[in-house]
Amino acid sequence: MTAFSPIPEYWPLFNRLRYSHRFRFYALTLPGVLLVLVFLVLPLISIVIFSFWKTERYELLADWNLDNYSTIFTAGIYLKFLLRSVLMALCVSVICLLYAYPVAYLIAKNGGRYRLILILLTATPFLTGIILRVTSIQHILGPIGLLNMGLMTFGIEPVQVLMYSHVATAIGLVYLWIPFILLSIYLSLLNFDFDLLEVAKVCGAKPFQAFFEITWPLNRIGTMIGFVLVFVPSLAATVTPKFLGGVDGALYGNILDHQFGATGTWALGSAMGVVLFSVALAIILIVARSLNLKRSGFTGISG
Amino acid sequence: MAETVLKIENVSKRFGDVEAVRNLSIEVGQTEFFALLGPSGSGKTTLLRIIAGLETPDTGTVIIGSQDMTRQPPYNRGLGMVFQDFLLFPHRTVAENILFPLKMQKAPTETQREQLNWVTNLVRLTGLEERYPYQLSGGQKQRVALARGLVARPALLLLDEPLANLDRELRKEMEVEVRQYQLELEIPFVYITHNQEEALTMCDRMAVMNHGQIEQIGPKLELYSHPASPFVASFVGSANRLAGVLSENNSIFWCDQEISVSAPQDARTGDMLELYIKSERIEFHNPEMGHENRAFLRGRLVDVIFKGQYSDYLVEVAPDKIIVVSAAGEQPLAQRQAEVQISWPVASCDCFLSNT
Repeated sequence: MTAFSPIPEYWPLFNRLRYSHRFRFYALTLPGVLLVLVFLVLPLISIVIFSFWKTERYELLADWNLDNYSTIFTAGIYLKFLLRSVLMALCVSVICLLYAYPVAYLIAKNGGRYRLILILLTATPFLTGIILRVTSIQHILGPIGLLNMGLMTFGIEPVQVLMYSHVATAIGLVYLWIPFILLSIYLSLLNFDFDLLEVAKVCGAKPFQAFFEITWPLNRIGTMIGFVLVFVPSLAATVTPKFLGGVDGALYGNILDHQFGATGTWALGSAMGVVLFSVALAIILIVARSLNLKRSGFTGISG
Repeated sequence: MAETVLKIENVSKRFGDVEAVRNLSIEVGQTEFFALLGPSGSGKTTLLRIIAGLETPDTGTVIIGSQDMTRQPPYNRGLGMVFQDFLLFPHRTVAENILFPLKMQKAPTETQREQLNWVTNLVRLTGLEERYPYQLSGGQKQRVALARGLVARPALLLLDEPLANLDRELRKEMEVEVRQYQLELEIPFVYITHNQEEALTMCDRMAVMNHGQIEQIGPKLELYSHPASPFVASFVGSANRLAGVLSENNSIFWCDQEISVSAPQDARTGDMLELYIKSERIEFHNPEMGHENRAFLRGRLVDVIFKGQYSDYLVEVAPDKIIVVSAAGEQPLAQRQAEVQISWPVASCDCFLSNT
């Protein structure tokens, strides 16, 4: 014990704790664990419980049954919307990936000292709320939006497919979530040694071979994290299809939303939530299983 | 010289205001170990990158074999290259790293296996094929990098300070080893280094570079024994530098002592001269050596640095003017703080007209 210790030495229990690694570990992890417990695990457990109850006249009744799940899996309509949402989320994530990768690559490689600013600029839309961002898309793509008004001034027919359709929803979702994947690929590329590409080329690799042999596998973890970060919120999208999807544009998130609002069937809604959560979890697990840390250059050793 | 494998003609490269390589020409023959020696910033790495195709020269041509490769991308040049910081692919095993060039050529599996066997035997990596780079020591990583450079039997192997990141003992070992590979394979190695000892140990011929130009090019002994410029004289070997004005009887005054010189032919009385004397050419004088054609200095022996096979004797000629004499470990006449006389044959010192 040093003479300068601020803790009096006659406080033996505290002193013993101070030097225990286990104590430090708990002290460091407790805030995070509490947050996850209170705001994620507890609500999740309650939703799982509600999903086995039923609702009558806008009231939850603790009457244990599997009716909600059998409704979801037999009525057809729910699975149809779920499939729609999964396809939408897949399309959005793939488009985001194809768009974000070259952008992040160019910024990381050639951005020089401006690269942090450039990457932050791509995230500036986050400074406004989600409603504002989605309606701004509406103002561009909609029937009296910038694009179609512009086309009509030149006597060209408005583009129907961009107005209140799945395409419009997809564009909105890509715009909403692309900063996540962009940032995650960028951070991965920051740690990537671009000199390895020169080695590959001297070893006889053409540019595309060098990319698929070196760049892609070595940045796969970051890329996949970005993919999941776009996929999960797109899967649960509610606001975007509501504003941009039009009459037939509803997705799983919209009918889920409906259960908690208009119809007041909370138990069914809870079951739908559990199904949605399970699908998201399954996708994350599939992605995680596809990653081999050693084959992604991750050693756990720095430098 | 045997058949020319690499021919560089009038190559220049400029980065903004910096002329990294200036109008430079080199030829390297088959079976030759060629060293490019120069301080950092002398343009030697740029030159190597131009040979590899990682940079395009502003002017000049690069001919490999008999083909003009100046505008060809690196993957068409069929070269091997070994980098200073190894640059192994961290997500690939040793075997996959080594076989990378063959995989890019889409060589048949049978060929790949044969070549892997051959090269792992050559660089003594047998048994480590399934490891990942992070599981290797520095020397092993360097061997993998060498194996990757050699596996496709390139026309030419480029080495960019490959031993700089290894510790001294290992470096000494690898120097001999690398030289051995070159002799066995009979392909030219172009070896870049700022370490003159390394260059002298390994190469057949060498070029000393400074400010993007070649100061001197030739067999290593020639550069060592007959440096063409003060820069080469000071950079190759360990030399003492003396300077003074040439007097009428072919001598200069330095630290109030007269030193006989063999002045260059175009030097006139009154010209400023620079002298470089390799420390191992200086001896402690004894009368048997005679006075014919020798130059002398008197001084005080201030320290002896024992190096094993030899020692460096530090002789203070004037305050802060130290001459280093390298000689066998035990010199009978050398006692610390003793007054000593040192001498060398006049012809063995390199004498240049000073530009200043």
